[in-house]
Amino acid sequence: MKARPARVSRELARKVLEGYGEVAGVQCAVLFSADGFEIASHAADAAASARLAAIGSSLAALGTALSGEAGLGDFERTTIESDRGAVTIMRVGSSRSMSLAVVAGKDAVLGQLLWATQRCCQALGKLLDP
Amino acid sequence: MSDVDAEEFKIVFTGPMGAGKTTAIAAISEVEPVNTEVENSDRVANAKESTTVGFDFGRITLADGSIVRLYGTPGQPRYRFMWDILGRGAAGVIILLDASEPGALVQLDVFVDAFLPHVVHGALVVGVGRTDLPDSQGTDAFAARLDARGIVAPVLSVDVRRRADVTMLVRTLVCILASHATHGAVA
Repeated sequence: MKARPARVSRELARKVLEGYGEVAGVQCAVLFSADGFEIASHAADAAASARLAAIGSSLAALGTALSGEAGLGDFERTTIESDRGAVTIMRVGSSRSMSLAVVAGKDAVLGQLLWATQRCCQALGKLLDP
Repeated sequence: MSDVDAEEFKIVFTGPMGAGKTTAIAAISEVEPVNTEVENSDRVANAKESTTVGFDFGRITLADGSIVRLYGTPGQPRYRFMWDILGRGAAGVIILLDASEPGALVQLDVFVDAFLPHVVHGALVVGVGRTDLPDSQGTDAFAARLDARGIVAPVLSVDVRRRADVTMLVRTLVCILASHATHGAVA
């Protein structure tokens, strides 16, 4: 998989992310490269998605370092829960080159959020990492 | 910092992408360094294959038994949030620069502005690499740049792949920290 897909793939990825419009509580979603560049986003303005992409890539890299250190293999996902919601970061596809960050409010059900995000990552993986 | 009691403190390696922060920490750390390098997808901006997006971490023990925790920052400005996280609580900062980069002097200003506020006594050392290339700035240019801003800090020419060079940077920084402790510099 290319670290940063072509424009046409990014357009398709954005369409996949639009599915989050139907998941309760989801505020925005950003697909990003391992080195922190936004590839596609849903409901996030340019500045916010650029920052989410950068911070998300750091967390994914730290997750990779931590799971490796613990001898637990590859990073799959991490969820940050706060008093007003949750952010999930999940690896897309089999390579380590992309992850998805999804921001959800308190009204989201965590199980549903994780399930929807897993489905979304599978769809994105098929699209970008066939 | 006391010069008699062994203790533990933190220093930060920072500077732009490609200056050699990850390499420098790997060159001197006694433990297998933690690194968070990923594939660089922006080869137009920088030809490097990989780039740090979280932090590097290593550790060395000084002759007096003090333990120094070494943190390396990401170099790219979009990781500015990591600069602030890593800068907090640092005893001193080492800025690494590539003298063959045309913007190296401006980069010096960027990293001084970002990190000096975090360091209590302004303990700073600048390590400049690739000074031997034909179009490179000499270390004098970097020293003059700091001097013009009223900042007193040693500027050393280094090859970050060489353990002795990186150790010299750390020793120089530790000397600055020790002199602040001995002379009771104003906090």
